[in-house]
Amino acid sequence: MIPIEYWLVLSSLLFAIGAYGVLSRKNAIVVLMSIEIMLNAANINLVAFSRYHTVLHPLEDKDPTGQVFALFSIAIAAAEVAVGLAILLTVYRRYQTIDVDKINILRW
Amino acid sequence: MILENAWLIPVIPFAAFVLIGLLPKRTLWWEDGGGYAIGGAAGALIVSVLVIWEVFQGNTLTVGAPSFEWLVIGDFHITFGIWIDQLTAIMLLVVSVVGTLVVIYSGAYMHEEAERRRRYYAEIMLFISVMYGLVIANNYLEMFVFWELVGLCSYLLIGFWYERPSAASAAKRAFIVTRVGDIMFMAGIIVLFKYMGTLDFEVLFANGGADAAATVPSGVLTLSTALIFGGAIGKSAQFPLHEWLPDAMEGPTTVSALIHAATMVKAGVYLTARTYPLLVQTPDSLLFVGIIGGVTALIAATVALTATDIKRVLAYSTISQLGYMILGLGAGGFILIHSQSAAGYSAATFHLMNHAFFKALLFLCAGSVIHAVGTNDMRLMGGLRKKMPITSITMLIGSLAIAGIPPLSGFWSKDEVLSSVYHAGDFDAAFFLLWAMGVATAFLTAFYMFRMWFMTFAGGPRSEYHAHESPKLMTVPLMILAVLALTSGAALFIGEGFGSFMERSLEGIPLSATEEPLSEIVVEIFSSPFTYLVLGIVVLGILVAYRIYYVPGFDRSVFARGVQGTFQRALDNRWYISKFYDDFAYKVVYGFAKLSDLFDRYVIDGIVNGFAYLGANTGGVIRKGQSGNVQRYASLIVVGIVVLIVFVLFVLPWGGW
Repeated sequence: MIPIEYWLVLSSLLFAIGAYGVLSRKNAIVVLMSIEIMLNAANINLVAFSRYHTVLHPLEDKDPTGQVFALFSIAIAAAEVAVGLAILLTVYRRYQTIDVDKINILRW
Repeated sequence: MILENAWLIPVIPFAAFVLIGLLPKRTLWWEDGGGYAIGGAAGALIVSVLVIWEVFQGNTLTVGAPSFEWLVIGDFHITFGIWIDQLTAIMLLVVSVVGTLVVIYSGAYMHEEAERRRRYYAEIMLFISVMYGLVIANNYLEMFVFWELVGLCSYLLIGFWYERPSAASAAKRAFIVTRVGDIMFMAGIIVLFKYMGTLDFEVLFANGGADAAATVPSGVLTLSTALIFGGAIGKSAQFPLHEWLPDAMEGPTTVSALIHAATMVKAGVYLTARTYPLLVQTPDSLLFVGIIGGVTALIAATVALTATDIKRVLAYSTISQLGYMILGLGAGGFILIHSQSAAGYSAATFHLMNHAFFKALLFLCAGSVIHAVGTNDMRLMGGLRKKMPITSITMLIGSLAIAGIPPLSGFWSKDEVLSSVYHAGDFDAAFFLLWAMGVATAFLTAFYMFRMWFMTFAGGPRSEYHAHESPKLMTVPLMILAVLALTSGAALFIGEGFGSFMERSLEGIPLSATEEPLSEIVVEIFSSPFTYLVLGIVVLGILVAYRIYYVPGFDRSVFARGVQGTFQRALDNRWYISKFYDDFAYKVVYGFAKLSDLFDRYVIDGIVNGFAYLGANTGGVIRKGQSGNVQRYASLIVVGIVVLIVFVLFVLPWGGW
C-alpha cells in the first residue's frame, strides 16, 4: 500500500481549500459547499486511519471504528446542509440577497 | 411597706393616660376625659402623701430597694428601681399637689376646647406619670429615660395648639434646646459609667461619694459632673440655654403652670441636688453651678422689666428664681465641704418647694385673667381688681411671696439662700459677687412683679374687655395655692425643721453634729443685718413700682430716650441672645450644611457617576469591533486555531514544557 502520509496530505489539502472557501467566498451557497469539502476532508482522514490500522499497529486486528464514524459524519453533514439551506432560504426571503457581505445586521 | 409600692405613683396617672387615649368617646364621661385625669392625679396624690408621711417618720428606701432587670447582656446588667429619700419626698409633694390642682383647674380653663380636651388630658396624664418616674428613679439611666420623656411631653403640650405656627415653632425650640442639655447629660453619665461600671445611685453615692472620687480621676469626675449639670442647664432653662422657656408660653396657661413653673423645670434643680455626693467631690463644678445660677438670675430679672405679656413676665421670673435655686446649690456645696453644714442645700430645696407653690399660683391667676380678658397683653388690662376680687387677692399674695415679704414663704427661703451664698463667700470670693447679683435680682424681682400686678389689677381699664370672676373650679385651686404660699414658710420650723429634714438625705457626707434648735433659726434670721438689707431693697422695689405704675402722672416715656432707651431696647430684645443664636445657627450651621451638600454632590456622586461613565465609554469603543460580517468572525477563529497549534507544537517544547 502507499504510505498513509499521502492520504493525510490529501485530507489537509482538501481542508485548507474548504477553509479558504468558507472564509472568502461571497456566495452563501458556495460557503456551504466549502463546509462540505471540509467535512469530506475529515472523513478521508478517518477512513485512512481506519484502513491503515493493521499497518500502524502490526499486532492488532482490523479496526473498523474510523469507517463507522465516517458514515456517521456523512449523515450529520447531510442534515447540517439541509438546515443550512433552510436558514439560507429564510435569509434570502428577508434580504433578497445571498451575498454574505451584505448580511451584516448584527453589528454595532 | 408603702415605700416598696411607691412604683404605683407613676403607674396610676399612666393608667389614666391609657384609658383616656383608648376608651371610646362615650365612656369618657366628664369633660372628655377630665374625670379620669382628676382620678389619676388624685390617686397619685394619695399614694404620694402616704409615701411622704413615711419619709416624715424617718423611713427612707434607698439602698436595697426592689428593682427589676431592664437590660441584661451577658454579664452586663442594668436594673430599674426606686429611691425614696427626703429630696424625693419634697419633689413628690410638689408634683402631686400642683399637678392635682392644675388638673382640677383645667376642668374649667380648657372647657372651650371640646374635642381637643381629650388629647390635652391624655398628655397631661402622661406628663405627670413620667415626672413622678423621674423623681423616684434610682439610677442615672432610668432618670435619663424619664428626663427625655418629660421633654417629649413638654413638646406635645407646648404645641397643643399646633395650627399656630408660633406654637409649633416654640415646641420645636423647647425640645431642641433642652436636647442640647440632654446630650451633655448623656455624655456625663457615659463618662461616669466608663469608670464606675454602673449608674446606680446606691453605688455611686456610697460613702457620700468618696468611693466614686477614689475610682474616677479627679479631672474626669469634674468633667462628668459639669456635663451632668449641663443637662440641668438645659432643662431648668439656665443661661445660655434659657431662651426656650419664654417661647414655651405659647402653650395653654395650665401647661405653663404645671410644666414650666412647678415641675419639669425643677427637674434640673433636682438632678443637681441628687448629684450632690459627686458634686461635693469636685469644687470646680460647684463654682460653675453657682456662677451659672447667679448670672441667669440677674439676666432673666432684667429682661422681665420690659415684658408686656403677662406670661412672659412670669416665665422670666421662673428662670430667675431657678437661678436662685441653682446658685443656692452651688453655694451650699461649698458650705457642705468646708463647714459640714447642709445650709445651702436645704435652703435651695426649700426655695424649690416654695417657688413651685407660688409660681403655680401666679400662673394660674394669670390664666384666670387671660381667660376673663381674652388677651395676654398687660397694656390692655388694668382695673381688674374690682371685677376679679379673688384672682386679684391671690395674685397679690403670690407676688408678695415671690418678692420676699415676711411672713410669706418666699421670704424665708430667699433669705436662707442669700445668706448661704454670703457665707459661701468665705470659701470662694466669687460668691460675694454672686451674692450682690442675688440682692440686685431681689430688687428687680419685687419691682417687676409689682409692675405686673399694678398694670393688671390697679388703675383704670386701658381697653374694652368684658371681665368676670372665674368659675369656682378655677378659683378654689387658686385659694388653696395661696394658703400654701402663705404657710409653706412654716416648714422651716415644724417637726424637726426643714434643714434637719433635708440633711438626712445627705447620708455619708460628713456633717457637723451640731443641731440648731429651731428657735435659734428665727433669731438668727432676724438678727442678721443682711436680712434687713434685702428686705429694705425689696420694699424699695415695690415702692418704685408703685410710683411708676400706680400713681398717675409719671411719664414713662422717659425710659425710651437716651441711654435708658438703648437699655430698654436691649431688654426688649432679650439682650439679643436669641438673635445671636439665630444668626449663629443660620450662618455657621447653614454654611456647614452647604459644604456637606457640595461634597456629597460633586465628590461622592462624582465617583459613582464616573464609574458609570467609564463603563459606558469603554463599551462604546469596543462595540465598533462587531462588524456583522460572519466570514470576518470565522477568519478570526481560524487564525486563533493556527496560533494555538503553532504555540503548542513549537513554542512550548522550545520553552522546555
